Amino acid sequence: MRWIWIDKFTEFESGKRAVAVKSITLAEEHLHDHFPGYPVMPNSLLTEAMAQTGGILVGEAKDFKEKVILAKISKATFYEVARPGTQITLEAVVENIAKEAASIKGTIRCGDICIAEIAMMFSHIDQNMGGLDFPDDNFVFNDNFMSLLDTYNINTSK
Amino acid sequence: MRFILLDRVLELESGKNITAVKAVSLAEEYLADHFPDFPVLPGVMMLEALVQTAATLVRVTNNFEQSMVILQEARNVKYKSFVKPGNLLTLKIEAKKIDNDSSTFKASAFVEDTPMIEARLKLKHYNLADNDRTLKKNDLQIIEAMKNNARLVGAIT
Amino acid sequence: MPMSQEDITGKVQEALIEALGVDDDEATLEATLIDDLGAESIDFLDIIFRLEKAFDIKIAREELFPGDDVISNADFIVDGKVTQAGIDEMKKQLPHLDLSDFESDPDVNKIPDLFTVKMIVDFINSKIN
Repeated sequence: MRWIWIDKFTEFESGKRAVAVKSITLAEEHLHDHFPGYPVMPNSLLTEAMAQTGGILVGEAKDFKEKVILAKISKATFYEVARPGTQITLEAVVENIAKEAASIKGTIRCGDICIAEIAMMFSHIDQNMGGLDFPDDNFVFNDNFMSLLDTYNINTSK
Repeated sequence: MRFILLDRVLELESGKNITAVKAVSLAEEYLADHFPDFPVLPGVMMLEALVQTAATLVRVTNNFEQSMVILQEARNVKYKSFVKPGNLLTLKIEAKKIDNDSSTFKASAFVEDTPMIEARLKLKHYNLADNDRTLKKNDLQIIEAMKNNARLVGAIT
Repeated sequence: MPMSQEDITGKVQEALIEALGVDDDEATLEATLIDDLGAESIDFLDIIFRLEKAFDIKIAREELFPGDDVISNADFIVDGKVTQAGIDEMKKQLPHLDLSDFESDPDVNKIPDLFTVKMIVDFINSKIN
């Protein structure tokens, strides 16, 4: 299982808003456990897809210099399940970007239907995580990830 | 990779609470991406571990009557520290209420005594056949699999 | 137009209840953010974001909560007590903090008790009125 929960960006307004899509396919192993006989994308992974959409949006706003880590999910509500053979669209909108943290509000749609709404906060851990032990280098936006961003098709409009 | 986020149930009181453990190991493939130089359990996997543990309590309490037991809402989920390979994550779930079709919980997880996450969870439970009678067999398949999982982790004998 | 103490208190309580997930009746004026309401580092920022939105103002984190430069400064904390220099620095950075009781026993462990719902209401009052 790779830890990449979005497939590409379709819209990207630097510092403001981003839209990404993810295709859901039976080729994804975890679906066969969740659940056997009726595969649905786990809501925790829908949350991660939103965290990746929002995390990249927030990270790009600071030129990927900050280590952007999911710190808090204020509220995540799930209305409908997402099934294989469909594509979900994730829209993240920046609410706040401060020195130490950022907050976003996100909506996930499948076709016309809103299947989830998620509000979350990211910490810029170099500025705001006293006492935690982590590497000096930016392990979040690492080389692996940055090369993926090329395929994410981010056309930033600064 | 199997999508089972709890390994062993330590305590279970039907209708009330459950304590379980998830062992975190470098053998879990996704850790190679999260992150290459700093493998740590993704926050949403901590959340999923809490959800699956709470769902286990729901299934046992409701006698495996519903097939689908899923997260409806998570609130004030706060991440406090990093869970690393080699850690044992203890998952503690306290039920506020468990009804037939929904349940609410206070959830938290620790590595030894250090808190890693806390959350308030609301789960919803239903059968696919409630909306589509042709899916009754699918319900039975899920319920059988979930019973097996419950046996595997010691939630039931 | 100046906002009434009641209106400010109501909006502050709402922001705290949403940020901290506590019940309506828990966010009393005397409630301490950290011990009574369970606030942590990320919550302080969440609270600030919500207050900014509710009152249409800008708040830097150091205006409301003391920065690490106060807490970890050796000149300001000696033997578990905040020195006069430390107290003066706190008064300068956070004029809305009521330090009158604290000064008689400036135990560093008592700093979290200063952060009450009332403290936030007073801060907002001074900012907007």
